[in-house]
Amino acid sequence: MNVHFKLTVALLDGIVADLRRPHPFAAERAGFIGCKVSRCRDGFLVLSNTYLSLSDDWYADDQRFGCVFNSHAMRAAMQFALTNDASMFHVHLHDHKGLPWFSRPDICESARYVPDFWNVKPKLPHGTLVLSANAAAGLCWYPEIKKPIRISRITAVGFPMRFLGGSF
Amino acid sequence: MKTIHIRQSFLGEHSDELFAGVRIGVVGLGGGGSHIAQQSAYLGIGRFAFFDPDFLDFPNLNRTVGATLADANAKTPKVAVAERVVKSVNPDAEVWAIQTEWQKDFDLLRACDAVFGCLDGFSQRAQLEESCRRALIPLIDIGMDVHKDYPFSISGQIVVSIPGEPCFRCIGFIRDKDLDEEGRRYGVAGGNPQVVWSNGVLASTAIGILVQMLAPWCRIRTGSRFIGYDGDGFTLEHDARLTVVSQAQCQHFSSISDLGDPFWKP
Repeated sequence: MNVHFKLTVALLDGIVADLRRPHPFAAERAGFIGCKVSRCRDGFLVLSNTYLSLSDDWYADDQRFGCVFNSHAMRAAMQFALTNDASMFHVHLHDHKGLPWFSRPDICESARYVPDFWNVKPKLPHGTLVLSANAAAGLCWYPEIKKPIRISRITAVGFPMRFLGGSF
Repeated sequence: MKTIHIRQSFLGEHSDELFAGVRIGVVGLGGGGSHIAQQSAYLGIGRFAFFDPDFLDFPNLNRTVGATLADANAKTPKVAVAERVVKSVNPDAEVWAIQTEWQKDFDLLRACDAVFGCLDGFSQRAQLEESCRRALIPLIDIGMDVHKDYPFSISGQIVVSIPGEPCFRCIGFIRDKDLDEEGRRYGVAGGNPQVVWSNGVLASTAIGILVQMLAPWCRIRTGSRFIGYDGDGFTLEHDARLTVVSQAQCQHFSSISDLGDPFWKP
């Protein structure tokens, strides 16, 4: 099953600008993207619309990790999913050029909290995205499939288009 | 880069790979869409979704690129003519030639990276734009008309709808009064005059816009475009209506509920 993640160029630029802001104690920032989904010929589309920036006080001070968010962040993201019937994607930034990938702690932690979104929206896919300065990669948890699927294509739609990752 | 694309290498070292991986949709394979299909194939686009329920007939032969007298005799589907043209340039191209209304295969339309609208009428255009916006797909619309008041006058337009930027309604291309008027005239329109050269101008410009969107060769001023064609004076000119709204946020397709499949099931 192919997963094509899409967002507008303006939304992408806004997300990157937010994630690049320094935090008082966390080494990196994170956020959530509220999305809708749609079937297509090859699989399905994840269509981004809203970025939820995390407040400074929604981070936990844990120096073992670059970024740990607390229950306020998760509650806000779950509420957004519930209110808007939205698919939720966690997002963070590895600020280098080239194709990024998740660290081992990223994968372990996302496998714990991403499926929690099924408590509020069990029929929707949810996931996590890692951005770099010019590319992106992602994992998607699809209902009733326990292992995450690698997102096959990520596109920032605008003029010009930015093909951030996947089969091009 | 393949030898056949070496003369367009200024579009980027890997532009041929990029074009080969892109899927474009063409809705309407008549006078405008047939040019789009042919030029996309020469450009190196590798994946196509063609939608048109119609077949080739003698009155289409004056402007459908790639169509032959034999096609008119055999009543070949227009999408089959377009597929043949594409495959004659690039036998490896993946072509979905759908001989039905585009609304009957949304799943294929949504799988496109960009869509060309070559449709008649405002209602069809409004529907296609809404469907493209729902799947975050850029839409490049072309259209022309021969005004029948004597002396005759040819005009047309290329209008680009980029998700996140002003839409057809924002820029005044589609207005409620035009939709109402079209609804009242439904069924009495008949066959409008159409000619090959003005369709070619509009389609070529639309292809240029696609290339600029995928592999820009120059500094881009704006994504949204509303270009008017004066077919009597042979000029293309940016429509002033867009400059007024170009910086504004689209209010018609901005909500999260404007995206995706309302009837999603896993």
